[in-house]
Amino acid sequence: METAVVSFFLLFSMSQGTPLNEAQALDWLRQLEDAGQRYYAAWWLGRMRSHHPETVPLLIQALAERGPHPDPASGIDEPNPIARNAARALGKLADARAVAPLLEALASCDDGLREAAARSLGQLGALKARRPILQRLAPGPLVAGAPRPGTSRLMEPCEALLEALGALGWQEEDGSSIITDREPVLAVVRAYGDHERPLIRSAAYRSLLQLTREDRWGEQLVNLLQHNELQVRRAALLDLGVTGWRPAGSAIARTLAENSLKLIALRGLVENSPARNQASPSPSPEEVELLLAMDDLL
Amino acid sequence: MPSSPSTPPDSRQVQALMDAVQAAQTADDLTAAVEDLSACPHPMAIPCLIQVLGFNNPGAAVAAVDGLVAIGSAAVPAILANLDEYNYGARAWSVRALAGIGDLRGLPLLERALAQDIGPSVRRAAARGMGGLQPHGFTAQQRQELAERILPQLKAACGDEEWIVRYAVAVALESMEHWWQPLAPQRQRLLHTLQPLADPQRETAPVVWLRARLALSRLAAASPVTRA
Repeated sequence: METAVVSFFLLFSMSQGTPLNEAQALDWLRQLEDAGQRYYAAWWLGRMRSHHPETVPLLIQALAERGPHPDPASGIDEPNPIARNAARALGKLADARAVAPLLEALASCDDGLREAAARSLGQLGALKARRPILQRLAPGPLVAGAPRPGTSRLMEPCEALLEALGALGWQEEDGSSIITDREPVLAVVRAYGDHERPLIRSAAYRSLLQLTREDRWGEQLVNLLQHNELQVRRAALLDLGVTGWRPAGSAIARTLAENSLKLIALRGLVENSPARNQASPSPSPEEVELLLAMDDLL
Repeated sequence: MPSSPSTPPDSRQVQALMDAVQAAQTADDLTAAVEDLSACPHPMAIPCLIQVLGFNNPGAAVAAVDGLVAIGSAAVPAILANLDEYNYGARAWSVRALAGIGDLRGLPLLERALAQDIGPSVRRAAARGMGGLQPHGFTAQQRQELAERILPQLKAACGDEEWIVRYAVAVALESMEHWWQPLAPQRQRLLHTLQPLADPQRETAPVVWLRARLALSRLAAASPVTRA
């Protein structure tokens, strides 16, 4: 999907003349006549990590916008496109003002908007999102994870919700302490480890590995590296990278997939592992082994 | 990786392996057939292996690159003659094959790819290849001239916007020491070029500065002074 979105923006920017600077992107988001320009500007400001003081307020305003309807002629092929792009952009901008409006978006009846909001709340580390995300997942894989009739989507955006839970970790909502009663959260996530779709299982294993650091979830992700669909192998590679689970190193190097993705995954093992000593100026022996595996993939 | 057979494969055997590649029905069958063909590196297989680079099958392409690298210099003219301007994937695999072979005839292509290609995977392979050249039979003077040509290009690529390209540049700077064998002042230039990549204040990707630091420490350990 990411590729399709990017290619739309390339075409759009070529047809309209690219807004090369922030001021122009802000103008495009500020005006209300041209939905295509608003859609593009919201994406651009997130992608370019705009720090302009007006960026976040304008995106929050755009997040509340509903419509326009998808118009294939303009290249916009999703409902509420401006709100969705605003939600995606806010996840990249690390501004706490975005949390409350994103929590509202998480309650939207548009599941695509909920998906974008969940990912961004995870990226922002918004601890207040844990409870509503859990509530959405709690009905379980046969209800929240049931296919949405007439589409390829599920009733809830399970992948994004599961990933966000893993990203949020165990800090209490007020940030004061660490949650000790973990079983209620883990039980909800574990149920999705049996979902019929391998991409949902991958997201559940990733989340469980982040939350428990138990090897069995890493082993499940490594099993998915052998799945017969390339799309699943790609997802498992990226999920392992996010968790930084280093025992997966040699299995990642052997996976049948593009080297670019294997390199991203191995980078994740180097940088995201709890074993990484932030203070150390040089790589540990285990890290040297991962780096040499990366060298072979260049 | 299977080692090369003790007796060279005969042409009937290679033909049968190529037929198996053409007959493969599934992606996995294709990968297996290309792996078998690449295990018998024979110049006859060059056109077939080059064709596989354009199939958008990563497993098969990896195996085909291995085969072309095993065949070596004999494959270079055909790779250069068959570059596909419109297929990023195929071009990246071609650059990877040339990078692995290390033949100097591939250098202009690697240079152009590093400086201009819009695909980060192509720039990455090009950087690695420029570090891994194999200037057989070069005099010290010729190796010095080659290094003078390559070093500024790698230095410029330290500013590439993609972390993986900068990573490949760190690897390339380390590996060019093997064929360059620079004297002390030139050696200082090499270490100096690696410095910005090894500095967490200037390099944003931790994996890149870790790799650059590994390169610096290995170059220091291998320095002529220590060796003596």
